[in-house]
Amino acid sequence: MLSTVLLFREALYGALVIALACSVLGVYVVLRRIVFVGAAIAQLSSAGIALALFLAGTGVIGSFAGHTTAFALAFALAGAMFFGLGGGQRAGVPPDATIGVSYAVAAAAGILLISKAASGEAHDIFLSGNILGITRGDTLVLLAVTIPVLVVHALFYKEFLFVSFDRETARTLGYRVTFWNLFLYFTLGLVIAFAMQFAGVLLVFDFLVLPAVTGLMLARSMRAIFTVSVASALLAAVIGFSLSVPFDLPSGPAIIAVSGLLVAIAWSVRRMQHRG
Amino acid sequence: MTALISFDHATLGYGRRVVLSDISFDIPPGDFLGLVGPNGAGKTTILRAILGSLLPIEGTVVEAPGLRFGYVPQRDSVDYGFPLKVLDVVLMGRYDRIGLMRRPAQADRDLASAALDHVGVGHLADQQLNALSGGQKQRVLIARALVGQPNVLVLDEPTNGMDLVSTTQILGLVRELHERDNLTVLMVSHALNEVANYVNRIALVVEGGFRIGTVAEIMNEETLTQMYGIPVDVDEMHGHRIVVARRTAPEGMPIVKVGGRDA
Repeated sequence: MLSTVLLFREALYGALVIALACSVLGVYVVLRRIVFVGAAIAQLSSAGIALALFLAGTGVIGSFAGHTTAFALAFALAGAMFFGLGGGQRAGVPPDATIGVSYAVAAAAGILLISKAASGEAHDIFLSGNILGITRGDTLVLLAVTIPVLVVHALFYKEFLFVSFDRETARTLGYRVTFWNLFLYFTLGLVIAFAMQFAGVLLVFDFLVLPAVTGLMLARSMRAIFTVSVASALLAAVIGFSLSVPFDLPSGPAIIAVSGLLVAIAWSVRRMQHRG
Repeated sequence: MTALISFDHATLGYGRRVVLSDISFDIPPGDFLGLVGPNGAGKTTILRAILGSLLPIEGTVVEAPGLRFGYVPQRDSVDYGFPLKVLDVVLMGRYDRIGLMRRPAQADRDLASAALDHVGVGHLADQQLNALSGGQKQRVLIARALVGQPNVLVLDEPTNGMDLVSTTQILGLVRELHERDNLTVLMVSHALNEVANYVNRIALVVEGGFRIGTVAEIMNEETLTQMYGIPVDVDEMHGHRIVVARRTAPEGMPIVKVGGRDA
């Protein structure tokens, strides 16, 4: 079993990098109650990939692989900036409705574009991803995105925390709340755009939400939540991946199933603590 | 005495919509001013102009150089879902002094502990904020406002949703901080009866109207009846002024109907 897993170790390394990046940002996603923003940005990113593939098929752009990354990035960042600025609130549309509209339209557009793309990859690749296809080069690209994002989050932890926890007071102390919000959303869009291409919408959504929920249930401080979130994401990636390869299961859903199990364990522990 | 904040014929609003026009007043050092009025009357608009997040459409709002606010937000605007210890919350009041890319030092922690002691909740420093009562949370937020060593303490609806005991304790604490530290205080509230017995001056905002004066100048039947547009009585009990809407209008004044009943 181990030898089979080792055959795909490059893919496992890639999954671990994605798990690390998403589980750190996921703490803000869960605490700020914007979990579906993460899903909508991932879906927008997938629509960007679909558009790149469609345009490559029509000959408008070349079939250079970097085009899909550029389109995924552009769509994800545009979505992140849109949601970071409050979505359609100024037009009187409730935030959750804006997220729903974006998600549904992006999903449908992605499927429609892929169905007419010459390269014709199945649209469900965007949902379940293709973790096993990650190469060493892909992992290095993911690291090149993840490391700067994590450094930024370490350096500006107190700024991101303050504008997330109490934006009114932060503004009163001179913080440019809109800037810091957009910066946070920008890092979110960046990570999602790159992770999405390998992990798919479902797994990215999983890594953004479930590990942070596990952390929230087990930990009593911000540092502990980050620690538990990252640890549970890495654990889910290792166990899910290791089970999926020898048993010929799709890797993404296997990792998500393990994440769900960890949430259930955390929930049980929390209940026992409350009873005790 | 130079005013800390000075409104000079200021017209305030959003875009083209004017909320309050031509208001002039000063907040001198050592003042304890209650900014009072019903919800939607324009209190938040004045507050935003004071805090510098809203520029006047006309006129000027001038602040003394180097003026620093200690802000206590409405309790609902803080996200208690964050698992933060009380001391960490208070430290946020020093974040701007600590600067970018730097962590709080021991000196900042000592100041935060001292601020908690100052408002009587030093023993809660290691507790989770979301595990505290409403009154304790409010004390923690006041400590956070004080730890930045402000010139003006600004409290936005500090007793909203609190019971009688907590309300009395919080207002008593704010009064004590004003007297003990000679701290300039601006307290925003919709509850005239609560605020009037603690502040030195009242700025009353009602439906675009604005009046400022000492408690005695504002808390009288003539002024309040004129401002609110309904007949009111101002009674005094054990040295406390209490405003009540009169059920029977004086001769010549129309009875205002509220919800189908006489106000």
